[in-house]
Amino acid sequence: MWKEIGGREAGQIRPNSFANRVKSHRLSTLQLSNYKEIVSPHKGSINSLQVDLTEERYLLSGASDSSVAVYDVQRATDYEGGGHIAKHRSVFVVDKQHEHGHKYAISSAIWYPVDTGLFVTGSYDHYVKVWDTNCTRVVMNFKMPGKVYRTAMSPLAASHMLIAAGTEDVQVRLCDIASGAISQTLSGHRDGIMTVEWSTSSEWILVTGGCDGAIRFWDIRRAGCFRVLDQSQSQLGRRPPLLKRKVSISKSLSAGQNSSVKPRAPQKKSANGNGVRQSSVGRIPAKGSVRQRLHPGMLSSQDRATAHYGAVTGLKVTENGMYLLSAGSDSRIRLWDIESGRNTLVNFETVRLQTSKPIQLATTQDPAVVFVPCMTAVKAFDIWSGKTCLTFRGHYEYVNCCCFSSQDQELYTGGNDRQILVWCPSRHISDGVDAGPMQDQDNWSD
Amino acid sequence: MSIWNYVVTAHKPTNVTHSCVGNFTSPQELNLIIAKCTRIEIHLLTPQGLQPMLDVPIYGRIATLELFRPHGEAQDFLFIATERYKFCVLQWDAESSELITRAMGDVSDRIGRPTDNGQIGIIDPDCRLIGLHLYDGLFKVIPFDNKGQLKEAFNIRLEELQVLDIKFLYGCAKPTIVVLYQDNKDARHVKTYEVALKDKDFVEGPWSQNNLDNGADLLIPVPPPLCGVLIIGEETIVYCSANAFKAIPIRPSITKAYGRVDADGSRYLLGDHAGLLHLLVITHEKEKVTGLKIELLGETSIASTISYLDNAVVYIGSSYGDSQLIKLNLQPDAKGSYVEVLERYVNLGPIVDFCVVDLERQGQGQVVTCSGAYKDGSLRIVRNGIGINEQASVELQGIKGMWSLRSSTDDPFDTFLVVSFISETRILAMNLEDELEETEIEGFCSQTQTLFCHDAIYNQLVQVTSGSVRLVSSTSRELRNEWKSPPGYSVNVATANASQVLLATGGGHLVYLEIGDGILTEVKHAQLEYEISCLDINPIGENPSYSQIAAVGMWTDISVRIFSLPDLNLITKEHLGGEIIPRSVLLCAFEGISYLLCALGDGHLLNFLLNMKTGELTDRKKVSLGTQPITLRTFSSKNTTHVFAASDRPTVIYSSNKKLLYSNVNLKEVSHMCPFNSAAFPDSLAIAKEGELTIGTIDDIQKLHIRSIPLGEHPRRICHQEQSRTFAICSLKNQSCAEESEMHFVRLLDDQTFEFISTYPLDTFEYGCSILSCSFSDDSNVYYCVGTAYVLPEENEPTKGRILVFIVEDGKLQLIAEKETKGAVYSLNAFNGKLLAAINQKIQLYKWMLRDDGTRELQSECGHHGHILALYVQTRGDFIVVGDLMKSISLLIYKHEEGAIEERARDYNANWMSAVEILDDDIYLGAENNFNLFTVRKNSEGATDEERGRLEVVGEYHLGEFVNRFRHGSLVMRLPDSDVGQIPTVIFGTVNGVIGVIASLPHEQYLFLEKLQTNLRKVIKGVGGLNHEQWRSFNNEKKTVDAKNFLDGDLIESFLDLSRSRMDEISKTMNVSVEELCKRVEELTRLH
Repeated sequence: MWKEIGGREAGQIRPNSFANRVKSHRLSTLQLSNYKEIVSPHKGSINSLQVDLTEERYLLSGASDSSVAVYDVQRATDYEGGGHIAKHRSVFVVDKQHEHGHKYAISSAIWYPVDTGLFVTGSYDHYVKVWDTNCTRVVMNFKMPGKVYRTAMSPLAASHMLIAAGTEDVQVRLCDIASGAISQTLSGHRDGIMTVEWSTSSEWILVTGGCDGAIRFWDIRRAGCFRVLDQSQSQLGRRPPLLKRKVSISKSLSAGQNSSVKPRAPQKKSANGNGVRQSSVGRIPAKGSVRQRLHPGMLSSQDRATAHYGAVTGLKVTENGMYLLSAGSDSRIRLWDIESGRNTLVNFETVRLQTSKPIQLATTQDPAVVFVPCMTAVKAFDIWSGKTCLTFRGHYEYVNCCCFSSQDQELYTGGNDRQILVWCPSRHISDGVDAGPMQDQDNWSD
Repeated sequence: MSIWNYVVTAHKPTNVTHSCVGNFTSPQELNLIIAKCTRIEIHLLTPQGLQPMLDVPIYGRIATLELFRPHGEAQDFLFIATERYKFCVLQWDAESSELITRAMGDVSDRIGRPTDNGQIGIIDPDCRLIGLHLYDGLFKVIPFDNKGQLKEAFNIRLEELQVLDIKFLYGCAKPTIVVLYQDNKDARHVKTYEVALKDKDFVEGPWSQNNLDNGADLLIPVPPPLCGVLIIGEETIVYCSANAFKAIPIRPSITKAYGRVDADGSRYLLGDHAGLLHLLVITHEKEKVTGLKIELLGETSIASTISYLDNAVVYIGSSYGDSQLIKLNLQPDAKGSYVEVLERYVNLGPIVDFCVVDLERQGQGQVVTCSGAYKDGSLRIVRNGIGINEQASVELQGIKGMWSLRSSTDDPFDTFLVVSFISETRILAMNLEDELEETEIEGFCSQTQTLFCHDAIYNQLVQVTSGSVRLVSSTSRELRNEWKSPPGYSVNVATANASQVLLATGGGHLVYLEIGDGILTEVKHAQLEYEISCLDINPIGENPSYSQIAAVGMWTDISVRIFSLPDLNLITKEHLGGEIIPRSVLLCAFEGISYLLCALGDGHLLNFLLNMKTGELTDRKKVSLGTQPITLRTFSSKNTTHVFAASDRPTVIYSSNKKLLYSNVNLKEVSHMCPFNSAAFPDSLAIAKEGELTIGTIDDIQKLHIRSIPLGEHPRRICHQEQSRTFAICSLKNQSCAEESEMHFVRLLDDQTFEFISTYPLDTFEYGCSILSCSFSDDSNVYYCVGTAYVLPEENEPTKGRILVFIVEDGKLQLIAEKETKGAVYSLNAFNGKLLAAINQKIQLYKWMLRDDGTRELQSECGHHGHILALYVQTRGDFIVVGDLMKSISLLIYKHEEGAIEERARDYNANWMSAVEILDDDIYLGAENNFNLFTVRKNSEGATDEERGRLEVVGEYHLGEFVNRFRHGSLVMRLPDSDVGQIPTVIFGTVNGVIGVIASLPHEQYLFLEKLQTNLRKVIKGVGGLNHEQWRSFNNEKKTVDAKNFLDGDLIESFLDLSRSRMDEISKTMNVSVEELCKRVEELTRLH
């Protein structure tokens, strides 16, 4: 670290790349925190976690016992273990006892993106509620036709205040906080909608994933869905080669192969699968891509395309707005190029994913990593290679959600065991005197 | 200090980041254009060297700078892109000598992640498009239409995510780029793409090359007829094109910059990380490349940019050392180097650390910086002061006085220089060859010391010696009259003007003579009660050759008295107080105001306002100029009268806006000075220094003066110890070229000579991280404390370090105590007579304990956890302000009773800090990773715990510079008599070599200046149409907000450079007179 600091001082390392190096190092040392603990007041499985987008200070959790709670993750409420374990108890809890509280499990709890004055919950009791944080009162109520699986608000929105809600119903509903009414319904899915996600590059673009295995892109200013992702559309970014320059130089065979295959992607898998085919047939996918370009708009065959076999259980747009990650009940994670809508075929080394419930993924940009709840563990995958970088084992039961605070490089995970676990970059205890016993103590189980 | 801050640059950026050569100002003129991060300089190549034409600020950090020539244009245009995604195309307007904006725009995107390796901006050699790589995975194209106008930009997806370099290839029918990239297995490859402008996409290019040198980092496109590209690696250089592949091995080096020598692209200059300059030659037969050759030329500063100018002259721009203009000789010199340095351009960057010291203890700060890196590391002493440009000098010992004389009263130039010694007087004159030559004036007495000389009316000269006053004709040079002192009394002090002589003999006799045509008349004689120490009759009234009053300084009662002339009546008597006698008095007038200056024997100067009519002395002020007796003399430069105070700290006293100002002269001790305005050396001064007589001209007043102390190693931390008059630095030296063999030292330097006087080598892998001079409670000694870290290759974060406590004894560093720590000691502060260290995540307080055996040791008292890395710490009283690696500023308090450190408040923003400083009890200043400054305020009156625990952000500003250090202090002398003297300031040093000043203004002044800044924004348009308001807006990954509670002093002070009509414009909208505006802005310029 001192070397990097020295390099930054002397102008040899750019400040942003300094920050990226530090972040990526910290990420690589993530482990169950031995100095920070969130005390979960929930009596049911935790389904949703989100840190506020303004200060990344308040963590919002929603649980199956129809309670929501908020924690200050920056400032501990008290200390244990000789002052070395910071306990973060909830700032407040809203549960069934609240006069307007949800009746059934809360599946989704999200912050209003602009400030922490409001938050939104969606529940299996068919309601989406908007809450005033300061007085914990319901300020708005939206009735849905079925269980609410997921709600989302655009982090970019400057000109709308829409909550996108995915429910048991086949239609996506946009609830307008400004008017208090459902302003739009988006039709296209053939089954319930497990997950909704706003684009990180445009405030008008919404992505939804349904139990029908489809991932649909909507421009909420226009009618209908403008793109359905197809898991079989996979040849991304193949450039038409120069036709006149046939493969004559011996070297360019390998070069051609290399360029046909996405360099950052995955190529272990495709080398086994279709890699061989590619190098021999070479040009066919290129024509495919040309045809694709010639026929924009939605063909009926495309409208039936699926992204996963089975339900789409999780969606996450990367911070740079260029890629979409999806999780399905087929236990696959897929990385999609948003601009072209192609499956990049990155092979994520998942084992099994939960199939019955939506799962909440988290990503970081520096380095590019996705956190995926894989049954009782959470795995971190390198987005470009699909390789597992870290596995987080700590929950006793299935993990439902994870949330990454990029400001602190901390991961929060919640699962059916009703725990919220904090995963922090490892910290060397700088004072030998008080280090000893602390380190081995498994302080998450009490 | 206050929350209303004024940020101004005292020393502009000097780190050269880009340079290019072309015909920019006219088709016939060759220009060198240099970018220094936030400024561009345009130079013209002349046979005499580089001639500066323009130096302008850019409202942005320059990311790329390229010259290009669209079709049908006779001269080049300049393309600039900034790091905040703005670009502009500039053209030179020969008539107004200004830059015209041809095009400008914003190239930012919502999507994409900013590139790690820096932005790339390239222009197609056939001028079909501009290519930009700003975000990973995107290549932005700005096409030109066939009239050379820019069209709408679009993005093309670039699959290669880790792009290292992109260049356009020459000689391609369609614009073709070559991309050097790294795959996710860390192997490096190049590939080419054709840009299909119609389809807005890439087409696979003609060739690619896999698995290059793992250090390949740089592409050089080769122009026709050869075409292709050179790929520069750490161990090989490869030439690659569609049909050729040539490689040569090179000595391991990291090439930082290249410059093309020939238009046909067969020779290139390569500059590496060790400052070695190589020539790379592509050998070819006709158009077929046959091989590569590389040859070492010699050593330069570590180049960041190389521009081949003409005739073997090359400009080497450097980020780590001084930039250079070099000549490549055909034959090697004795050391085998072909490089001859023609000129050096000072570069302070990167300023890694600095300290503000007042070595002469006179209230004027000097900044001593740790500058440069690697072998170009140096200390720079930056001082605000006036330089003397030496024109001639002679060795002369024991000068006791100097006067210049003219050969006739109406001669505009001085001819003679009378130099007086203890027992003789010599006369120097300019001979025909413009050399100083000893001559004689027959009428002068040359066997004795001259006490005073002056030109007199009627073409006469007057000489006063201890025995007599001699009146000599300046034409015949013969004695015309002589006044002899009474027997038994010798003249002690004397003064004269064109028509009067006043002298004092022993016993307190004051004698007044008047000069007539060939006659000296004793007009009046007075007997004073004490001996007289100094006299002056400088005429400052209406008559330039006759004074109505005389100033007299006295022994014994330590007074200065004003007498009327010719009757020698005492008008005023002013007791000076103290025991130091006045050594020199001077009557003078600045800007129509009369002053009496009186210099004491201990280097103090008193000044009084003098009422010419009543002789009354008012407004007494005292400043310290030096420690030795001062001699005062007037001189004029640029038609204004100034006073030169010769002493061990020579100073020029001048007036601006009817205020007396003092500025150092950058000379060591000066014993005497007289103006010597000869034909050969117009407007010069003759200066008597130790054993030397120098003739030189004087600089403009108030200019930064920089002295370089090259170290040959990289200084990282510095601090000064007043008591031992030493500096201590932490430095590192690279053995040979290999990076692994770094040696780290603590070195002790003399604060006058800057020589190493003692060195303490640190252990292997041990780095010096912090240094402090401090003392502890119950111990009168002053120590140097050094914090270190063991940086082991396998550890990412140091887990071990030391705190070393040294004492300076007999000029040697003696290790007194050492304490091992569990991490790197990033910061050390003296705190309540104890030592406060920041060690990794922890703040730790150490007591200085006396052991039973009488030795001392550091004993840990208490600590505070909870930081990511506590990198920067400042303290004030019991408060501790911590700048964290990534968690902004937090405020801790030390509780004496409990002996504990607790967190009081914190800023919850995610600022990655680079420096912190405490402005006052409640306001703290921070600099962060995205080149911003901000201030936070403690809210102790908050109603809730939440409010009290939060540091409220009160000021935000985009500086555009990476600040490494803040220090309280000032570069200018703080004078009690100026408003500016009351304004507290903080100095900062940056990576680009900027020294800046942050001044806390009173609210009223802030509001006034804010209004002025708003108006100036409307009148002064940024180069390339870049917007000032946007530039200064606080900007990081999360937010962009307008600057608040910070003002841009550089913009405000540029008011003084405006034409009168534009000043009038602003004056009208401000409803304040131009004079008032000028006055208020000028006041601010005196802050730096």
